[in-house]
Amino acid sequence: MSTIPINLEWLSDCSGCHVAIVDLHEKILAVLESVTIQRCPVLTDVKDYPKAKLGLVSGAIRTEHDRHAAIEMRKSCDLIIAWGSCAVYGGIAGAGNVHSRQEIIDAVYTGNKTTGTHTPPTREVSALEPSVSPLDSVIDVDLYLPGCAPHPAFVFDALLALLEGRSPRTATGESVCARCRRKMEKSDVDRIRKNSEGVPDPDRCFLSQGYLCMGSVTLDRCMSPCPLNGIPCSGCAGATMQVLTEPNRDIRTEIAERMSRLTEIPREAIVREIERTAKTHYSYTMATPMIGEKPTFLIQKWTDEERDDYEQDHNH
Amino acid sequence: MVEINVHEEACRGCKMCVDICPTKVFAFDEEKRLCVVEHRDDCIACLSCAYLCPSGALRHEDYHIVKNFYRDLAFCAKMEKFI
Repeated sequence: MSTIPINLEWLSDCSGCHVAIVDLHEKILAVLESVTIQRCPVLTDVKDYPKAKLGLVSGAIRTEHDRHAAIEMRKSCDLIIAWGSCAVYGGIAGAGNVHSRQEIIDAVYTGNKTTGTHTPPTREVSALEPSVSPLDSVIDVDLYLPGCAPHPAFVFDALLALLEGRSPRTATGESVCARCRRKMEKSDVDRIRKNSEGVPDPDRCFLSQGYLCMGSVTLDRCMSPCPLNGIPCSGCAGATMQVLTEPNRDIRTEIAERMSRLTEIPREAIVREIERTAKTHYSYTMATPMIGEKPTFLIQKWTDEERDDYEQDHNH
Repeated sequence: MVEINVHEEACRGCKMCVDICPTKVFAFDEEKRLCVVEHRDDCIACLSCAYLCPSGALRHEDYHIVKNFYRDLAFCAKMEKFI
């Protein structure tokens, strides 16, 4: 039986998406019956870009090399999937957009106290792009598969559907809460708790207990492992469809809307706390124009205010 | 006639739909901790419940779709490509 050639490429990301392919475990055998993996940075030693039917590209556009690799993948593959939250939204590298290129280079190379040399590299390391952006800012993308990494079930489902010539199941409107088993109930909690504070009740919704959890504003691409194991959702699969489609709905206002109905905490206090910790709560999606260019998304202002507050507190 | 489907596995029992519905369509089953569509005929398809539902457990069918003029068109163009 002839197999379908595929290429995988890895731009600026952590490698987790490639590991997710390995996490298919024995199911990968079913996939390998139908595909031939050509270029794949973690599995093969193919340096060029052979012609392929399907290309999976993970990672954000952070460096000039990322741009080059993305363009080569588009040229060599008939169908391109933006694979994982970094390729779809820019991912956590997107936090770099709050700083200038020079600030990043200064912090990493010039002023880094833990390295012996204090000069930025001039060769072999690719230069930074002016800003971090998602894959579709450079090439046309045919399908988007968000998740950090996308759960193997979704990767498998998407690959199998494409191999069988059917359309993959498109994203549903369900959020991480849909698979979380915690009871969401009203409480008289009147202040936000830090994640490090106390031990959360394992059967009760984090929001009901005053912990900030992003489950209700995050697309289910994971099977909810974090809240099921005692960790509030950090929003790694990106925002739900209603936050993405509507400029006036936003991560912080949607969480505040629900949390203020469940607890005694005022809506404004929740919005302010999420703004104060915006680099954490918007970390996966801030590089995409869908979130970063919302008229109400003012991360530079929020981080400046937070720094001023911090400095004021520590000068007295 | 508007159909409202509740995905029972996804319902977290928060009662927000019960609280927000302007026409009191929903009741709450305390034993199962699930919302129940009790007065479907009263639904005016404002979709307030679907927007507020934390887990996206509510789906409406057979209603007149009003397109929001303020949608993010750049995202809407690629929405169908999200898998």
